[in-house]
Amino acid sequence: MTTLLEVYGLNKRFGGLHAVRDVSFTLQTGSITGVLGPNGAGKTTMFNLLTGFIAFDTGTINFDGQPLVRLAPHRIVNRGLARTFQLARPFVGMSVLENVEVACLAPRVRAEGKAASRAQALLDQVGLGEKSHQLVDVLSYGDLRRLEIARALATHPKLLLLDEPFAGLGAAEIQPLADLIRALHRSEGTTILIIEHKLSELMQLVQGVIAMDFGEIVAIGSPPEIVRNPRVVEAYIGKEDFDAPGLAIRGDGVGAT
Amino acid sequence: MGILKVDRLAVLLASAALATAPLLFDNTYAIGVLTVALCFGMWSASWDFMSGLTGRENFGHSLFIGAGAYTAGFLNVQFGLSPWWSLAAAPVCAVLFSLVIGIPTLRLKGPYFALAMLSGAAVMQNLTIIFSKYTGGQDGLNGLDPMLDSPLAYYYLVLIFLIVSTIILKVVANSTWGTILRAIRGDEASCQACGINVNFYKIASLMISAAFAGLGGALYAHYQLQVGPDLFAIVLSINIIIMVYVGGLGSIYGPVGGAILLNVLTESLRAFSEYRLWVYTLVLIFILFFMPQGLIAPLWRRIRSFVA
Amino acid sequence: MVQILVYGAVISAIYAMLAVGFTLIFGVARILNLAHGSFYALGAYGVYTFTAVAHLPLWLASVLAVLFVAVFGMAMERVLVRPLRRSMLAVLLITLAVALMVEQVLLLVFGSEARNVPSMVNATYHFAGVDISAQRLLALLGGILILTGLWLFMQRTRLGSAILAISQDAEAAQYMGIPSDRIYSIVMGLSAGIAAAAGVLVAPFQTVIPGMGLLPLVKAFAIVVVGGLGSIPGSIVGALLLGYTETIIAFKISIEWSQIVSVAAVLITLILRPAGFFGKRAAF
Repeated sequence: MTTLLEVYGLNKRFGGLHAVRDVSFTLQTGSITGVLGPNGAGKTTMFNLLTGFIAFDTGTINFDGQPLVRLAPHRIVNRGLARTFQLARPFVGMSVLENVEVACLAPRVRAEGKAASRAQALLDQVGLGEKSHQLVDVLSYGDLRRLEIARALATHPKLLLLDEPFAGLGAAEIQPLADLIRALHRSEGTTILIIEHKLSELMQLVQGVIAMDFGEIVAIGSPPEIVRNPRVVEAYIGKEDFDAPGLAIRGDGVGAT
Repeated sequence: MGILKVDRLAVLLASAALATAPLLFDNTYAIGVLTVALCFGMWSASWDFMSGLTGRENFGHSLFIGAGAYTAGFLNVQFGLSPWWSLAAAPVCAVLFSLVIGIPTLRLKGPYFALAMLSGAAVMQNLTIIFSKYTGGQDGLNGLDPMLDSPLAYYYLVLIFLIVSTIILKVVANSTWGTILRAIRGDEASCQACGINVNFYKIASLMISAAFAGLGGALYAHYQLQVGPDLFAIVLSINIIIMVYVGGLGSIYGPVGGAILLNVLTESLRAFSEYRLWVYTLVLIFILFFMPQGLIAPLWRRIRSFVA
Repeated sequence: MVQILVYGAVISAIYAMLAVGFTLIFGVARILNLAHGSFYALGAYGVYTFTAVAHLPLWLASVLAVLFVAVFGMAMERVLVRPLRRSMLAVLLITLAVALMVEQVLLLVFGSEARNVPSMVNATYHFAGVDISAQRLLALLGGILILTGLWLFMQRTRLGSAILAISQDAEAAQYMGIPSDRIYSIVMGLSAGIAAAAGVLVAPFQTVIPGMGLLPLVKAFAIVVVGGLGSIPGSIVGALLLGYTETIIAFKISIEWSQIVSVAAVLITLILRPAGFFGKRAAF
């Protein structure tokens, strides 16, 4: 088991707000891990720091053996770290296929073949194959999420960061998307880190959980451990996303890293 | 989205039409008007390539036009070089200007980028007047040499440049470059997340736009045989934008048609020269409200879908 | 020295009037109004028409001119700008179109020769070895009065404080339950009226030609960008800065160099500090 990502002492302040506070964790290659926390816990900010969209104040990030220091977002993507956005931001006015084609034109994967055919294959993989020639403006929320994932996969990432993939989805759309993520993890072996504050969805998918609150990590462990952790429970008291600890956690996809 | 047979045919027909147009009028004045129209065509197509595709509307395109024209002026009048050197030097100079103004303004959004570019052109216009010792001030540089003796021959030269430029720009716009530029218009952050170096494409497309605009500027200079600070004027940039809107944003060929159409239209109102500006502004208002997609490109697409 | 002090003050007052109106309508409605210079020109031509053509007394002509332009501004906003509000670039283009049209109309109706507008006061003061016309001083005084009046309106009235709040934070508007469309009209009227008042005040000593609105627009824009889009204090500070810088350069170096200050300031500010030096809204 190799370590793909090491984060030490990551900090970010916005004026008086200490959004990310001394965050440290590691991710093993091939693992699928969740990031849990109430709104405002600093999860998306941490993603932005890892992917270069915001510069961090202090700390170290080592990805695939190399440090990530003040790199522009596109360079980080070309190192093999891809992300999706919480609010889907497709290229409006372009077709679904073209949306994924753009990612196929990234220097990292450009030489792998004709962008259009690779894009079609990716869309097939996420289940949007038939909609490839539609304008992206007409896609449903769930389909937009799949599109985001296809775009992120296009760059052959070693690490994929998914930012609240289930947000805003109805019950009928959540399960298929979760199945897709699980299937991709199995077939591609991509290391995945998912932010989600819908507890039940997250717990089904992941092997380990990083729990955050107020910018800090309050606990790291397997789903059953996290759910029983008093500090995690305390962070969630009164917050409506937290389901009862007696929730059944599915056997597959769960285990110690 | 490749270039279909019907497109090839259209290019041939349009080129043929433009080639025969001056022969119909057979007087130097009309040929002059058409030559100017072709220059506007180059300026419009070059503007569309960057601004039409990326959505970053450049309100200071005249900066590159003036840069190209004054380069031609300097080389020919101050240094006595043959006018043909301008064709090589003008685009280079315009590209340098694009780097100077383009790099600092990379991160500016929409309207602020537009206004920063506008200010850049205005600054240049002022500098041209201030340093009148070198630039001739308000009067500019006069007495440029024509490239060819016959106005008709010069028209054909400019026409060739226009056709080749438009084809080059259109081919690039249809390639993966165009896809990326349109994605930048869609959402820059997502573009970054796709691993694309957005700043590179922004700056490169501005440089390409500047190069062709500067080339057009030199061609114009050797038609007018004089250059003045008016070439940096805001009104020139705005007129070009109007021509592009008439032609259809992002189509490259549409703006060429828009430029020729508007130039010919205002020329036919020549007797009422005060109304020239009326035409432009009324057209702009009309287009913004009723036909934001433009006139020429949508028209062509409709014809195309019947034929192909 | 005294000349610079006084001329600088007069210019700054006029610039401040123009800049404050420009920044107000941006702060409230996110409209970059390129027709703002037209309001200024129409104010000057308005007072000319009402005195020279309609033979009304000067004070009445001035008031009518300001009112007329205010209504014109509101009509422009309602008919031409509001439908295009989705796109700031479209708004830029349409207000530009209006500016060009106004200039053309003025050219058609009044021709290109400068028009003479009588001064409100005809005295000339002699101070520390320098002649200063009373009309200029009146312009300075008028500017200060109008801006003070605006400040009082914003501080003391409900409508005024609502407008101030909205210009600083557009989302607050939603919570205040004030119909934003009405506010846009009112603010545009104010903006246009103040610009027209500036035009009225300077008409006796500035060249009244159809194109007179272009430079003031550029100056107003420059001030607002430097001071921060939407920031009224920023506009006033910016107006003083630009007014005095231009006056000093014009006196010490040349008029041509003084004209470049404004456009250079815009360029430099957008590059270095797009939010302006006092503003909160970033340009990126």
